[in-house]
Amino acid sequence: MFLTKEEEGMLNGEYGPGIKRSMELLVKLGEAFDAERMIPAQSAHIHCAMSLDLLSELTEGTTQCRVITTTHPNAYPNVLDPTGCKRIGLPENYDIYEFIHGGPWSQIEDIFKRLGYLLTYTCVPFLVGNLPRMGDVISWGGTSGAVTATSMFGACGSRDSVPANVATSVTGRAPYIGMAIKQNRYAQVLVELDGLDVASFTNADYGALGYYIGGKTGSKNVVINGLPKTLTLEQFRYLVSPMPVSGATNICHVVGVTPEARTLDEALGGGKPEEVITAGRDQIKEAVSKLTTAHSDKVDLVKLGCPHCSIIELRNIASLLTGKKVQPNVRLFVATAKQIYVLAEVMGYVDIIKQAGGVFTNTCIGSQDPFNFIGPKLGVETVATNSARSAHYSARTSGGKIRLLYGSMKQCIDSAITGKWRTT
Amino acid sequence: MKLKGHKINGGRVEGEAIVCNDAFSFLGDFDPITGNCLIKTPELEGKSMIDKILVCPTGKGSSRGPLNTYRAMKLNKSPKAIVCIEAEPVLAAAAIVANMPMVDRLDKNPLEVIKTGDWVKVDGDNGIVEVT
Repeated sequence: MFLTKEEEGMLNGEYGPGIKRSMELLVKLGEAFDAERMIPAQSAHIHCAMSLDLLSELTEGTTQCRVITTTHPNAYPNVLDPTGCKRIGLPENYDIYEFIHGGPWSQIEDIFKRLGYLLTYTCVPFLVGNLPRMGDVISWGGTSGAVTATSMFGACGSRDSVPANVATSVTGRAPYIGMAIKQNRYAQVLVELDGLDVASFTNADYGALGYYIGGKTGSKNVVINGLPKTLTLEQFRYLVSPMPVSGATNICHVVGVTPEARTLDEALGGGKPEEVITAGRDQIKEAVSKLTTAHSDKVDLVKLGCPHCSIIELRNIASLLTGKKVQPNVRLFVATAKQIYVLAEVMGYVDIIKQAGGVFTNTCIGSQDPFNFIGPKLGVETVATNSARSAHYSARTSGGKIRLLYGSMKQCIDSAITGKWRTT
Repeated sequence: MKLKGHKINGGRVEGEAIVCNDAFSFLGDFDPITGNCLIKTPELEGKSMIDKILVCPTGKGSSRGPLNTYRAMKLNKSPKAIVCIEAEPVLAAAAIVANMPMVDRLDKNPLEVIKTGDWVKVDGDNGIVEVT
């Protein structure tokens, strides 16, 4: 593998033991996948399921990360709204990732700060200042952020790994593999829409569509033909975020929206798709029924914000809750970034949501939702959400103990107010 | 029987094979504290993976998998090596951070020629797997 003089120096320890160890990891990874060289990276995003020992090894002697680096949702659910979280039964200082840290979380956070990692604690780094441009090489933990940045902004986010994310943040390099290579980005499977009234689609409908497509296409690159060019950031996120969950999607082109998919032909690289699949009303229904595992219409918990809510979503939640109250026996759990929460405070949305009985968090409410693990002990069994990603993960990480209802944000909020799930 | 393949991570070890027929994730399919397999099939559930040679088609799932092999290595609960049909970056990183030799793209399908319990020698440096 070709290395520049500077990269050789990194590998030989001239830049300290942490950079040496990081470069060793990246070179091994690159060689494993026949990379011809390293390339400069522009952005990193780091998971909080971090091992103190490994982080120390990869960063020893390093004073500052080389690329903009943000951090994934907090290991502690109670940070943003301690009073609310206590009220809904979450224990104080409950550390979701305790078993993986292998040391005190405060020491991990100290290293993050020393390196200049921006402690954003969110899965939507592009909404809080870590916004990649087309062609930027990003090494991001969290598949929802990576697939969104790659598919919507044209960034090069490959399925790498938490240790590689750290190594890239301190060296500013990534192996030249995966999405960084133009040839690897072209669509392989074409999705045609059949009889879908996308103009009336809720975000949950987009999520069901994405969930269906991911399940059908696995790790193949996707192109969807027939969606409106006016697709909002929220709609796009809900569409692509479930794909790496039901499948292993790296990139999903949406013709007319994805910057390198101005036309279907461009998305396919001038070639023909390996496969064409059709998605219509039956397929959306199939996805919704897979995501719905509840036996009861009595809702114990409503969760919104997987991926973390944008300011527009918080505005919608506030507007649906104005003058309303969440049933005392229902928990309404809203996940967002602290930076977005602060803006929502300025706008008055936080007050409305809290006065109605909503509770905020900046932890993960998908695969690591604390209620997936301690919910049944707290009497939380039936959970409503508008996130296909979150519904999929909760059903699995709770070992089937959490049962899911899936529908629009409006349905979710309605069920929080009435305590009952209504299908329309 | 000698199989020739492609190096993912170097090093030479030998041990007993544990064969998993589906794509493997060290987050969800493996408990780093006990070293046990969590896959819910009669052959695999609860079986120790400590010092075993994991044989599987490829990797899947969360990018946090390597954190689990690293933790397991520190607790001496990690498998010894990985042999797979075709590697992907997360499974490769899981091997690299835990110093497990790893080989893929062998001239025979390892799932067809290696059975759980077989004694397997893995030469990561030369991409060679020997089944005895």
